[in-house]
Amino acid sequence: MKQPGPEKLLKEQKIDEEYWAKWEREGGWRPVGWKIVEMNDGPTLNELKPEQFMIVHRPHANFYHHSYGKVSKFFMGLLEGKLYGTKCPKCGLVYCPPRAHCYNPKCKLQETVWIELPKRGEVYSYTVMAIAWPSMAHLQPLVGAMVRIEGTNTCLPMTMRDIDPEKVNIGLKVNIHIEKKPRGDLLDVYATPAEEPKPPKRTPEELKRFKEDMEKTRAWVKKTFGTK
Amino acid sequence: MSKKVGIVAGAISRFDNPRHTLQEEMCAEAVKMVLDDVPDLEIGDFIKKGYACCYSYFSDILEQQQCMHWIIHDYLGLSGVPAFRVESGGATPIDAIVNAALWIRSGMFPVVLVVGWEKMNELPIQKVNEAIAVAGDTDWDFVSGFTYNAFYATLETRRMHVYGETEEDLAEVAVLAHNNSLDNPYAQWPAQHGFSKITVEDVYKSRLISWPYRLLECAMTSEGASAMLLANEEMTKKLTDNPVWITGVGFGTDTMRPGDRPDNPAWKGLYPEDERIWPKEIPRPMSPYPDLTNFGSLRVAARMAYKDAGIKNPRKEISLVEIFDPYAGVVLAALEDFDFCKRGEGKKLLREGVIAPDGELPCQLSGALTAQGHAVGSTSIAQVVDVYWQLSNQIGKKWGAPGRQLSKPKRGFVHGHGGTGCQAGAVVLEV
Ligand SMILES: [Zn+2]
Repeated sequence: MKQPGPEKLLKEQKIDEEYWAKWEREGGWRPVGWKIVEMNDGPTLNELKPEQFMIVHRPHANFYHHSYGKVSKFFMGLLEGKLYGTKCPKCGLVYCPPRAHCYNPKCKLQETVWIELPKRGEVYSYTVMAIAWPSMAHLQPLVGAMVRIEGTNTCLPMTMRDIDPEKVNIGLKVNIHIEKKPRGDLLDVYATPAEEPKPPKRTPEELKRFKEDMEKTRAWVKKTFGTK
Repeated sequence: MSKKVGIVAGAISRFDNPRHTLQEEMCAEAVKMVLDDVPDLEIGDFIKKGYACCYSYFSDILEQQQCMHWIIHDYLGLSGVPAFRVESGGATPIDAIVNAALWIRSGMFPVVLVVGWEKMNELPIQKVNEAIAVAGDTDWDFVSGFTYNAFYATLETRRMHVYGETEEDLAEVAVLAHNNSLDNPYAQWPAQHGFSKITVEDVYKSRLISWPYRLLECAMTSEGASAMLLANEEMTKKLTDNPVWITGVGFGTDTMRPGDRPDNPAWKGLYPEDERIWPKEIPRPMSPYPDLTNFGSLRVAARMAYKDAGIKNPRKEISLVEIFDPYAGVVLAALEDFDFCKRGEGKKLLREGVIAPDGELPCQLSGALTAQGHAVGSTSIAQVVDVYWQLSNQIGKKWGAPGRQLSKPKRGFVHGHGGTGCQAGAVVLEV
């Protein structure tokens, strides 16, 4: 027998310990304000009566230190601008998201091997987000695509840039990019069109509605963030 | 011993946002109604006679509380009584019912009380979306920038591409659900928006969330609770003279990440008749069913429940259906996965009025998730309770809307699922 530790530090992007410690302390459950309201309540709309409620504003902050485990190489690859997946030596399936063990029922959880993947793929399905993550709200309307990376048996969800939301379609060939300053999660990966997009068929009413939706979304972004 | 499990009583403490009433208080309201309906049952019986409780809530993050069922259980006066919590995302409440039914069938417990609830108003809405989204894979799905809105939207885009579903189909599903909810005194839509019917135009006027889905085509976020008393055949007959039976239960699963489904080796060849239905012009994935178009977990759960209940032809033998519809297109997919029609034909059942309230197979009579509401841990229990009231001829009494009682329905089918169909459960109810 042998002991596994201690861990050896190989590389690090340091965090601002003081800032985050303060942030966690402040998100420490004690109310930072409160209000008292009156509202009708009861178990059914046929039995309502006025009630008074006190509501406290209670912050609760967490900070996770997460290991990517045996698929860490994918994220280490992002730091070097490379895209990696895993391949099962028994059945040949290629995974991105990578799996350290093959899930093909025939392969009995065979360990996979790492391969570098081309930064090309195809849109398997897509959406246009008019409400995205708060940190990405300034990018709305934002195209989200399930991208099948060339040679893989999976789809990786990612956002798209340099694409008119009206034109994105299933089957569109895309180039995959990694952020210049990667932070170490999947959001470092995005796609752009690799060919002239052929838009999906829309009726004139659908097209009019789509354009209006995009205008409204862009107007909101401009009003909120003053850009675009 | 008999594998029959009876529903003795069911109750809902209504869906709304906010409710401001505490989780344990909403649960107490629902359980109190159950006790009112079952005069021969006392809380003290649970410990003395060996009954049990099964609790359903989804999110420790939304509640800001772990093991909240301990609070509920204590509050109801049940300390000492065996109790379990079930948690499987959106499938939580249906899984709680399935589990409770199986415990009764095991012979271990003659009576099980099922209680479900959720609080969804304590965090700002973006954080609510985030709390729900962390039921997706936080390394590979969630941090792609997609919320569940976006994932379900990509699934529906695929259905539009492969089957030719339209934006109008989605809007019609939303119209059906919202208008069905207008007589339902437990529903959130009328509580917040009044009692007038809506049209397809109203759906189009609601804001775009994630194309093709608009606000009225997405589940509400809700607060509320519900309760059901289940018992073995002997105890059911002792406690009520108007029972409904759970004659079939089923549950199934699919991959964590929807992106893994098109080439998933585990599904290849499982449903050959569905694999054959695939348009020639669209590249064929390794496992054409369920692909991103359908929900394999729903298929597994439904066929198991049908087999359990001895149902050969679900379309003919089932009178009404409540589908778990976090997004409108799920209704159309589910109709196919439940064998009510071939894959790709869900839209036909909608367009031909089959699933309308006066149709051959009325669906979503409660208003379901987009209109009755979606307080996750309560949702499917409430949907089962709505179907139970229909089958036991109690809609007049429980809704105060006798006009909405179906004429002598025989069998109901209710399903629930979590994630993007990662886990699903289903029950068959029968008079
Ligand atoms: Zn393999």
